[in-house]
Amino acid sequence: MRRADIKDEPATYERLVYKNTSVYHYMRISLVLENESATLSAAQLKQLIVSGLRDLYGEVGGAFPFDLLKFDESTLTGVLRVYNSGLVKLWSALTLLGSYQEELCFFRVTQVSPFLLTLSGNSRELELD
Amino acid sequence: MAVFMDLNITYTTDKKRLQSVIETAAHLGYSTVAINYVVDLQQKKQEIGKPKCVLELFDTFPMVQGKSRPIKVLNRLTVVASDPSHFAACMTFDVDIICVAVTEKQPFFFKRSPVNGAIERGVFFEISYTPAIRDSTMRRYTIANAISLMETCKGKNVIVTSGAEKPLELRGPYDIANLGLLFGLSEGDGKAAISTNCRAVHLHGETRKTALGIVHTMKKDQPLTVRQEEEHVPPSKRAKIETV
Repeated sequence: MRRADIKDEPATYERLVYKNTSVYHYMRISLVLENESATLSAAQLKQLIVSGLRDLYGEVGGAFPFDLLKFDESTLTGVLRVYNSGLVKLWSALTLLGSYQEELCFFRVTQVSPFLLTLSGNSRELELD
Repeated sequence: MAVFMDLNITYTTDKKRLQSVIETAAHLGYSTVAINYVVDLQQKKQEIGKPKCVLELFDTFPMVQGKSRPIKVLNRLTVVASDPSHFAACMTFDVDIICVAVTEKQPFFFKRSPVNGAIERGVFFEISYTPAIRDSTMRRYTIANAISLMETCKGKNVIVTSGAEKPLELRGPYDIANLGLLFGLSEGDGKAAISTNCRAVHLHGETRKTALGIVHTMKKDQPLTVRQEEEHVPPSKRAKIETV
């Protein structure tokens, strides 16, 4: 039973839905070469990826902006950043890249995520004491 | 979710290379692989290479990364057929997989009626991606053939496999699911192409021997092992049992 003098105020709430907060996708990749003693510099790696993109998607695809955020020369692992619209193109170009300077090579993509923080941990390598 | 399977690893007589390919596949996350033996019927006097017993390859199979089970290795036979029998192959042959050859531009287009007939019978179409890695002309043919296949079959009953001869030609399962997007598959279809569809092919092959899945045969060797164990029990233990 409601009292007549107390008016019910409609409950107000505000709902915020973020469909996709992140504009970029981050990928952790590692390059495996047939000749295990060869190394690349960061610039050479970026050149390699750009040439792979250009082989597959032409000049328009090769011009797509992406960044190499980190690169470790001793282990040949790095973190790439690309816009969401270019993720499929970049990932397929990395998959189909077969050779570097006449040698067989392949890119192993270990992690892909829209958030950089998730690349820092890997639940498969958790060590539980 | 079904496990990732790669159903096409070319057989080489070099045992070490085959071992390294299988180890790389296990490391990338494939739970099952199949070694492919190719037979070309048009060449006369070709011996069908005997499928090597899987146990001869490894003493202990490499563990699949992310799971605790060792990788499972199957054997598979591919028969090369001539061009006019394409229509017959879809409708009548008792096969599991029809490989879409990517080494040349297909002179014919896939017609809808044999493709639909094959889908109803449970036959799958296979696209191999390693030629796309080796050569840029192959890449164009692979993508062209894949797209024309997708238009006729609408993405159903498709599997994507590697044709890897070397360990550096393998790619991880999520990379292949992404390639499916290039070929014209939807995202769900791309992932299914390497997991659920491959598992369906495996079951289709196993049930071919079993009269529509009703009868199942198994090797019977149990009585022998029991007898052997009894012999191996050392005399002192045997004596204890008797007294008790």
